[in-house]
Amino acid sequence: MTKKLDKSKAPLGSTLAAIGCALLQGLPNQVQAGELEKWDVDAAVLVYSESDSRVQAAEPVISATRNFDSETKLNLKLVLDTLTGASPNGALPSDQPQTFTRPSGNGSYTTDAGEIPLDDTFRDTRVAASADWSAPVNRDWAYSVGGHFSSEHDYLSLGTNASLSRYLNQKNTTLTLAGGLSLDTISPEGGLPVGLSPMAEKGAASFSSDFAASRSGSEDDKQVTDLLLGVTQVINRRTLMQFNYSLNLADGYLTDPYKLVSVLDQPGGTTQEYRYESRPDSRIKQALFGQVKYQLGSGDVADLSYRYQFDDWGLNSHTLEFKYRWDLGRHYLEPQVRWYTQSAVDFYQPYALESQVNAGLDEVTADYRLGDFDAWTLGIRYGYQVTEGQEAYTRLSLYQQTTGDFSSATTPASGDDIPDTTAVMWILGYKF
Amino acid sequence: MASPCELLMALPQERKKQAEQLAHLAAKEVWRIEKTYSRYRQDNLFTQLHRHPDQPQRVDAETARLLNFADQAWQLSEGLFDITSGILRQVWTFDGSDHLPSPDAVKALLPQVGWGKLNWQSDTPTAEGEVAGGWLTLPSGMELDFGGLGKEYAADRALGLMMQQLEAEQLPLSSQPGLLVNLGGDLACSGPADKGKPWRVGVESPAEEDQASLVLEISRGGMATSGDSRRYLIHQGKRYSHLLDPRTGWPLEDAPRSVTVAAPSCVQSGLVASLALLQGSGAKVFLQETGLKHWILE
Amino acid sequence: MKAYKCLILLVLILVISGCSSWGVKPWERDLLAQQKMQLIAEPVEMGLDDHIYFSKEGSSGGRSFGGGGCGCN
Repeated sequence: MTKKLDKSKAPLGSTLAAIGCALLQGLPNQVQAGELEKWDVDAAVLVYSESDSRVQAAEPVISATRNFDSETKLNLKLVLDTLTGASPNGALPSDQPQTFTRPSGNGSYTTDAGEIPLDDTFRDTRVAASADWSAPVNRDWAYSVGGHFSSEHDYLSLGTNASLSRYLNQKNTTLTLAGGLSLDTISPEGGLPVGLSPMAEKGAASFSSDFAASRSGSEDDKQVTDLLLGVTQVINRRTLMQFNYSLNLADGYLTDPYKLVSVLDQPGGTTQEYRYESRPDSRIKQALFGQVKYQLGSGDVADLSYRYQFDDWGLNSHTLEFKYRWDLGRHYLEPQVRWYTQSAVDFYQPYALESQVNAGLDEVTADYRLGDFDAWTLGIRYGYQVTEGQEAYTRLSLYQQTTGDFSSATTPASGDDIPDTTAVMWILGYKF
Repeated sequence: MASPCELLMALPQERKKQAEQLAHLAAKEVWRIEKTYSRYRQDNLFTQLHRHPDQPQRVDAETARLLNFADQAWQLSEGLFDITSGILRQVWTFDGSDHLPSPDAVKALLPQVGWGKLNWQSDTPTAEGEVAGGWLTLPSGMELDFGGLGKEYAADRALGLMMQQLEAEQLPLSSQPGLLVNLGGDLACSGPADKGKPWRVGVESPAEEDQASLVLEISRGGMATSGDSRRYLIHQGKRYSHLLDPRTGWPLEDAPRSVTVAAPSCVQSGLVASLALLQGSGAKVFLQETGLKHWILE
Repeated sequence: MKAYKCLILLVLILVISGCSSWGVKPWERDLLAQQKMQLIAEPVEMGLDDHIYFSKEGSSGGRSFGGGGCGCN
């Protein structure tokens, strides 16, 4: 047998590294020792800005990873999130100015005629920390465990997760089973609103008793259980694929305590009052996710992913994302595009009718985030390799949601009256 | 191994005993590798492999790894790195003279040179990448030569065994003392002598006249030099390096006198340095493409 | 409907694990070992994105356990 020379040449440095390792099979080597000496840190800040002076956020994050050997590592992450600005409160625009009682019951705010009502009370700081540990069990199995903590003035989340992976076919196939559990406590400002109770009007003589009647207790909780089954497959030297099936079960208080629903006298009619929204107390989401990564001969990397998610609230969504990392020596440019579309949950309506409320409507939301909409994200990331092991990067992206008209026999609405979001996201980061 | 060898360890005086144990371990490994793959012994694996030409022979895991490495290096270099080319030394003697072999003598040997002519079947690696062995059929007249990578391999192995020993003594890689193996200029180093203080190693300068040492700093990884002050030929004003192009049987013209490369491991350094010399006048460009730290002596 | 989707996934797993010509030798992992070839190549960026999308859209997760843990508005 005569061997043939393989003319398809890989970048020299990387190929050399790979063959050298195989020769020294099983021994610790100096490269590993070098990598192990330090923490790999990725520090970044996200500036998020919605148009029309809605939510503005600044989110610094620092993530540090310590590699103990090639497969054992610890990651610690700290995120700070400061948020200001206004957020749609769920009510429909009106041809009259509208006055809303603040969620705390202290004071009120007024929205001009024709404007989408925005609650401008938001000002919050979130602190989140997480730790994840992953390590091999033996040559065929690996595991990971982790925990997170996240706190804001009205929300606390504590969670834990774990995964088990099995390698097959010379590590070309990886099966992963992962689970997570999160216990969240919600303690809204002004207490928990009673679902579908009328919003107490600030000027009314009976305000105190009305407000008290619209509240029940000060906090509630929810449990979120996650299960994920994944397959990762190496196709060839340049191609990698992943498929996941995931299940997310949420139980408990799933309502947004700050969201209202306008109650109209007739379809497209006049606003009579506002009621607090009310959602079911359980939700089961399932998702199918697929991703392909392919490296071109030039060293460029194409990354395509798709997610289909569906739940028992009636929401279906499709997400398609494509990134192309264009290698330019020490620099790279990565255009990113993401398309998202979702259908509304069954109990979404832009507003409710008096007749529905009188008939005992018990689940309703006018939160546009549970309605129908499409969203595009266009972004570009740029990175510069400052030295070996240090990278400066930045990313600018534009996020645009578009909502169409809500066609329905009972509660039709024009897309103009339903909020959507336009935002600019800017990330600046440094890895060292 | 006819070159000076040294072991440097950043250990305090009171751990002298441990240092001695490590040194013993490293030396034993270097001798073992030399003994196994030396062409100059009659009682070793190397000789045994050549005793049965034209027959498939079972080789052990270590030899299989070396042969796989040689195979990949051959592929990568498009045939320039070839462990079957040692036989050309029958006609080439690099003694600094102007004695060139006759083209016919070189041509007569070429049928016995070429990695592509032998049959090497490695076992399928396990999930971890380990191979248990393989089958080698060596056509008669052909000869393997591990000289091009044996010393580098031994340096890496010696270092790796010491690190493994320290690990077994509950010393994680991140807190191990810096160790350096120097096998006649082929270096493998696990970490700096002291935090931020690299080892300073004298490497024999390839310049013929002065034998002063070139002092190189290394804090981690491998380093190897290809090219030599004494192994060359000068003919009609042209300097011929001792590395031969296995495809023609002739040395490359206009190759730098010596190339020193620092790569993650010593074998990699040695391979890149050899490949660079084999590029002849293209050595510099080749080295730049690898992105590795290097020193060229024209 | 749901059972049907699970079935598709199972079939995919079988197809994947049944295809032996896929995959690489250990020494051919040079490209796959690069950070840019990891499935989640930029975990920090992904974490920030997940958080934004979690608070603006009705879906979340699927890739890993991204997002969540906040009462976002």
